[in-house]
Amino acid sequence: MAGKLILAGAAVVAIYLISVPLIFLLGTAFRGPADFLPFEPGSRWTLDNLWDVYLDPALYRSILPNTAIFAAGSVTITFVIAFTLAWLVERTDLPFRSAIFTAILFPLLVPTVVLAIAWTLLCAPNAGWVNVAIRGLFGVQGPGPINIFTMPGLIICQGIASTPFVFLLLCAALRTMNPSLEEASNTSGASPIVTFFKITLPVLRPGILAPLILATLLTLEQFDLPLIIGFPARVNVFTTRLFFDLNAEDQLPKYGSAAAVALLFLVIAILLLALYNYMVRRAERYVTMTGKGYRPTRLKLGRWRAPALVFVGAYLTFAAVLPALVLLWTSLTGGVTWSEATLSWTAYEKLTSDPRFWKAVVNTFIVAACSAGIATLVGALISWQILRTRFIGRNLLDFISFLSIGIPSVIAGFAVMLLYLSLPIGVYGTIWILVLAYSYRIAVTTRLSRAALMQIHAELEEASSISGAGWLDTIRRIVLPLMTPALLSSFLLLFMVGFREFTIPMMLQSDDNWVLSVVMWRLQNDRQTGEAAAVGTLIVLFVIPIIFLMRRYLLAQQNND
Amino acid sequence: MLKVKSLHKTYQGPDGSFHAVRGVSFEIPQGGFFTLLGPSGCGKTTTLRCIAGLEDADGGSITIGEQLVADPTNGVHMPAFRRNIGMVFQSYAIWPHMDVFSNVAYPLRVARPRPSHDEIETSVMEALKLVGMESLAKRSATKLSGGQQQRIAFARALVRQPQLLLLDEPLSNLDAKLREQMRFELQELVARTGVTTLYVTHDQAEALAMSDQVAVMSGGQIVQSGDPRAVYERPQDAQVADFLGIANFMPGRISALGDSKSLSVKLDGSIGVLRLPDLNSFAPETAVRVVFRPEDVVMRTAAADDTVEGRIERINFQGTVSECHVRAGETLVRMLIHPSVRVQRGDQIWLAVDPTRCVVFPAESVALR
Ligand SMILES: Nc1ncnc2c1ncn2[C@@H]1O[C@H](COP(=O)(O)OP(=O)(O)O)[C@@H](O)[C@H]1O
Ligand SMILES: [Mg+2]
Repeated sequence: MAGKLILAGAAVVAIYLISVPLIFLLGTAFRGPADFLPFEPGSRWTLDNLWDVYLDPALYRSILPNTAIFAAGSVTITFVIAFTLAWLVERTDLPFRSAIFTAILFPLLVPTVVLAIAWTLLCAPNAGWVNVAIRGLFGVQGPGPINIFTMPGLIICQGIASTPFVFLLLCAALRTMNPSLEEASNTSGASPIVTFFKITLPVLRPGILAPLILATLLTLEQFDLPLIIGFPARVNVFTTRLFFDLNAEDQLPKYGSAAAVALLFLVIAILLLALYNYMVRRAERYVTMTGKGYRPTRLKLGRWRAPALVFVGAYLTFAAVLPALVLLWTSLTGGVTWSEATLSWTAYEKLTSDPRFWKAVVNTFIVAACSAGIATLVGALISWQILRTRFIGRNLLDFISFLSIGIPSVIAGFAVMLLYLSLPIGVYGTIWILVLAYSYRIAVTTRLSRAALMQIHAELEEASSISGAGWLDTIRRIVLPLMTPALLSSFLLLFMVGFREFTIPMMLQSDDNWVLSVVMWRLQNDRQTGEAAAVGTLIVLFVIPIIFLMRRYLLAQQNND
Repeated sequence: MLKVKSLHKTYQGPDGSFHAVRGVSFEIPQGGFFTLLGPSGCGKTTTLRCIAGLEDADGGSITIGEQLVADPTNGVHMPAFRRNIGMVFQSYAIWPHMDVFSNVAYPLRVARPRPSHDEIETSVMEALKLVGMESLAKRSATKLSGGQQQRIAFARALVRQPQLLLLDEPLSNLDAKLREQMRFELQELVARTGVTTLYVTHDQAEALAMSDQVAVMSGGQIVQSGDPRAVYERPQDAQVADFLGIANFMPGRISALGDSKSLSVKLDGSIGVLRLPDLNSFAPETAVRVVFRPEDVVMRTAAADDTVEGRIERINFQGTVSECHVRAGETLVRMLIHPSVRVQRGDQIWLAVDPTRCVVFPAESVALR
């Protein structure tokens, strides 16, 4: 009985966290007029928002094409870099593979805001390090030659930032490929180049397309770089459009019109998600073709060794080393030019004497830990329910939890905002609204714990029942201990996702619930570059040990060299 | 046709290096069927892969036809795709993104100069007919059973009429019944095409049934090679005997018989004497092991001067035969009897072994079990 209540509770929480905010979003798209809150007395049902948004030529002239160019461009760059890196690490005798694998994870864990601000410090047209260096080397004058505040700048930065995630997925795809397939081509008389194009790429195609679609989905929802690099460049994409609809300087938030924009992108995201699901199934069909005799042989790089190392080095320099250095330097000098720079702890002293900084630190950890805890618990319970019971609603539950991958975080943040604006329970503006908003990502847990549950044969649980244990005892003494590693992984992953989060706390920010990423952005915006860089440096210092933790425990099985 | 001379291969791993192939030499004449037989991990696949060019040898040389393809000391490493070979992989390695026809046509389509469209069509259909799969040409490769995948793999390996066919345990992924059937088909196929074949397996029945020549490998070396029957009947040492399924190792001592010059083996425990041919290489009083197969032991119901006394300890009924464990002195002798023979546990019996079916090794070369 207690068991049934707990399961039902988990299902209700999951559905509530994911779908209720979306229902409010859907409703808001059809509520007006604009000077009322969507569900305030006085507002009414209307199609005005839809007409305003979808009849406005600006949507078709700037937002849609900009979003498309941004997504297509950066996904292309991500793919070229990530595939090359994954292939080098997994299939060649590249030296230092293991260390390189670890280093590539850096931009995955460091919040993108931190990288974004670091890159503006590197490539801003006037004072950016890279520009200063180039001007010094070639004796040119004036600003430039590189201007990061352009569409190409935005695309390149986003491409680099998304690389590690796609890299991990591609490594997994490459690893599941049976190397005999390529060897059979060699012994059939095909040269390595022909083999690569006729066998390797086609066999990997579904395994490559699935990450490609996921990367597109994730790029669509990117907000950090479009805000920090795209906005000064006057490049508006869908996420920033939504944000400025709600945070315009000179007018009231336009909830209805923002919701109408969000609808379109929600539909696109869900279509991409369906496509992703289809590709994953196809990839699995190809993988099951492998049999015994697995023996990965690594391609000898020979004289390509040096160029390969240069490529990896260049990526790591721009994605990890230079950002970390520029943040450290700027935090110690306050962001002045080279010649006037003196090292001092001023920025750190100012930062640590400000109670708002400490509050943000506490907020960041509370929100990341609580939301990771909620999502892990709820996700584990519903995946048990989906796999082990015959409960009628389990397919719906499965669908809704999977849906959570596809909801862009701007939309999630916005939907939660609408819900608690209308629901007077006093969480609006506190850190608890952030906890509720972050917790929708239960798909991470359901995926990991389903994989773990499938390893635990149902007979282990049945044996426990036969031995006289009730449901709760079986869960507590048999299932939980066996699932602990998967649950810990899921908690750690979600904790890092929450720690990096910038979009949702920006959407829902008030003076009380700042987190570190928001603080860093505000400092940078107020031209307190030194302090902003100090926050970034501290974040990097916190993340570095976590990278090693992750490498050791989460990705340990990938250490195959 | 294929000449392998003192081949060496060492794998470098994160936890040290491993010398997998240690000086393997053999030759296969044109059209021969040669088998490398040995327990798993003894270096068969590695040898095969060095010949295919998938692995670079560290020492020795390999010649296919007239072409020197590997001679690392002189810097010769011909890549796999330039060697004119066909290979069937243990996992078959059927490409999942192509249909059956394209899988088989692939070696011709990548050939330089490329044969004409019609030539490819004809050769592929011929190869498919050879393996009895011509009706499935358009089927997607993901929809094939294990046996079908294997036939496709054969067709693909043979389609460009290679000089040398390499087979790496091609039957090991099939279930027992299909394996039997495919063994006959494979024999038939190789005989019809007349291609020179190198076959790798850990299954002695396969090796003995199919090959002209067998080489038994152990620990990266060939320990014995020759005609299958000779290897089976005259294992060169105890290790080979053990691997070939000889289960009886009786301890004894060489004794000179008083009435003639010939030697015999006095079995330990004074349970009997065996007069055997070919004992001249042993000095009298040498400790030896007499080695013979369970199926070469016969049961007598009365003592004679060539019998050994024993008592039945266990009878395992196995359908077509029964296996008996007989305690003779200190040692346990395994023998096979027809299931219709009515004996019981505890019965006293007399054993006789055909002397020509026994092999004798010095005792110190055999680890007692
Ligand atoms: N790529 C490799 N790296 C290191 N050791 C290997 C590698 N491939 C095989 N080995 C080792 O070499 C030995 C021989 O392997 P293999 O030739 O596959 O044996 P077989 O085919 O006879 O079973 C085994 O002990 C195996 O562990
Ligand atoms: Mg093998």
